Amino acid sequence: MYAAAAGDRLPQVVAGVGAAGCALMAVAFLVRRPSVLPVGLAGVGAAYAVFLSLRSGAVDARAPIVAAALFVAAEAGFWSLERTAARGGTAPMARRIATLVGSAAVAALVGSLILVLATGVAGSVALEAIGVAAAAVTLAAIALLASRASV
Amino acid sequence: MRRSATPKLGAYAGLGALALLAALATRRPELVAIAAPFVLAAVAGLTLIRRPAFDATVELDRERALEGDEVEVRVSLVAAVGAERVEVLLELPRELEVESGDNPVLLRLADGERRELTLRLRCTRWGAFRIGRLYVRTHDALGLFRHETALDRRLPLRVYPSEESVRALLRPLETQVFAGNYVAREKSEGIEFADLRPFVAGDRVRHVNWRASARRGELWVNEHHAERNADVVILLDSFAEARRAGRTTLDPALRAAATLTARYLREKDRVGFVTFGGSLNWLLPSTGAVQLYRMVDAMLDTQIVLSYAWRDVSTVPRRTLPPQALVLALTPLLDERSETALLDLRARGFDLVVIEISPLSLVPRPQDELSEVAHRLWRLRRDAVRGRFERAGIPVAVWGDETSLAAALEEVGSFRRRARAVGV
Repeated sequence: MYAAAAGDRLPQVVAGVGAAGCALMAVAFLVRRPSVLPVGLAGVGAAYAVFLSLRSGAVDARAPIVAAALFVAAEAGFWSLERTAARGGTAPMARRIATLVGSAAVAALVGSLILVLATGVAGSVALEAIGVAAAAVTLAAIALLASRASV
Repeated sequence: MRRSATPKLGAYAGLGALALLAALATRRPELVAIAAPFVLAAVAGLTLIRRPAFDATVELDRERALEGDEVEVRVSLVAAVGAERVEVLLELPRELEVESGDNPVLLRLADGERRELTLRLRCTRWGAFRIGRLYVRTHDALGLFRHETALDRRLPLRVYPSEESVRALLRPLETQVFAGNYVAREKSEGIEFADLRPFVAGDRVRHVNWRASARRGELWVNEHHAERNADVVILLDSFAEARRAGRTTLDPALRAAATLTARYLREKDRVGFVTFGGSLNWLLPSTGAVQLYRMVDAMLDTQIVLSYAWRDVSTVPRRTLPPQALVLALTPLLDERSETALLDLRARGFDLVVIEISPLSLVPRPQDELSEVAHRLWRLRRDAVRGRFERAGIPVAVWGDETSLAAALEEVGSFRRRARAVGV
C-alpha cells in the first residue's frame, strides 16, 4: 500500500502487483498451506521492487520500515498457519509477541544500517561481487538444508 | 530426536535470495535492507540450532478403577537441553476422557528445568489400557527447526465394568459337595430343619427334639438340610455385537457378567467364565477374591472377533462346564451359532439360563416400507428363537433399555419356579 501510495509513476502497476501478492497470501490462509505464503510475500515485495525501480532519485528512507513490516507479516503469517492444538496459557503467547516485536526492531535497525552504508559507499565492482556472493551463499544454504531435511 | 526444518526456513532463505537478486538487478540498496531480516533469521537459525534432550516419568495414582471413576496421571518432564517451545501430548485411548488439564500442552523448558504436568482422566468405558506414551515436539525461538520424539513410559490401567444393581440371584438347581450358602436337598449338618427321625446310636444329643420325644415317649432327632455351594458358569457370546454411536451390546453384557461374578463369589460359589465366539477363552470355576480379579481381567480382554468358523460346545474343555453347573448365558442372539450352542448345552442336561441383551435400541429405525418389513421379520425371527428356547426348557429374559438386570433375573426366576412346578 505504501509503494502504491508513495509512487508517482504507474501506481496502478505497483498496486496490481501488490494486490496479487496479498491475494496469494489470503489464499494461503484460506487453504492453510504454508508453502503458498512465501509466494504471496514475494508478490508484495515485488510491488515494492517495482516502485523502487520506477522511482528516480535518492534512497527511500522508509525502506527499513517496509523491511520490518514485511518481516512481521511473514512471522505473523507463519504463526497463524501453524497446526497445533497445544494450549499453554498466556505466557508463551506473550513471549512470542515480544520476540516478534524485537525481531521487527532488529529488522528496522539492520535495514537502517545497510542504507547508511549504501549511501556512504559508491557503487563498485567489489560491491556487486559481494552481492552475488551473498545470493550464492543463501542459495547454497537452501540446498544444504534440503539435503539435511531430516536428521 | 528427529530434526526437521519448518517451511519457514526455506521460505526465508528463498525470500532473502530473491530480494538480493532483485537488489543486484535494480541496483537499489533498499532491497538489500528488505532481504536482510530474512537472511539474518535463516543464518541465526542455522547457527544457533541445538538438539533438545528430554526425559520423562509417568505415574498413575492407581492401577485399577471402575467405569466412571477419575484417575490422575502425573507426567514429570526433565530437560537436559531445553527448548523455547515444547509441545507435549499424552496418547490416550478414546475410553479415557480428559476431565482437567491440557492435552496437548505447550510450555517452555530451560536447560535443566523440571516440569510436572497433571491430568485427571475419566474412565468412560471398561478395558485394559496402557497409559504413558508421550509425544514431544519442540521449536526453536525463531520457529525454523522442529524436533520430535516419542517417549514410551506406559503403565497398565485396568478399568473394570461398573456393577449393575441385582436384588436376588438365580438359585442353581443342583448344589455341590462344598460348604456354601444354599440349602441343599440332602440331609446333613446344617441349620435349616429338614425332618424328624427316631434316634439311633451315634446321633448327637443336641439334635434330639425334646418336644417330639416327650410326645412319643422315645427319642427323636432333628434332621437338617446341608448348606452347600454351587457351580456357576458365566457364558459370554462374543460371536457378534450390535453397535451404534459408541454404545454396544457387549458393554451391558460385561457389566452383567462382572456383577453376577462378584455376587456369586460372595455366596461362596465356584464361578467360571467362558467367552464363546470368534475367539474362545475360558477360566475354570473357582472361588475367592483372586478368582474375581482373574475373571474380571479375563473379561477386559473380551473382544468381538469376526469369524466364519463353525464352533460348538464340544470345543470347550469339560472341566470348564461342570455337569451340574448353572450356566448363565449373556447373548444378544445375533448369531445362529450361539443359538445352536445354547440348545446343545441344554440337550446335554445343563441348567441353562439365557439373558438376552436386547439390540433393538441400537438398530436404526426403518426409513421405508421395505426396511420396515425387514425389521418386522427380524423381530419375528428373534421371537421364534426365544420360543425354541422356552420349549426346550431354557428360560429367556430380555434385558434392554426399559428393564433392569434385576427385573430380567426375576423374570427368569419366575419361569424356573413355574417350570419346576410343571416338571420341565
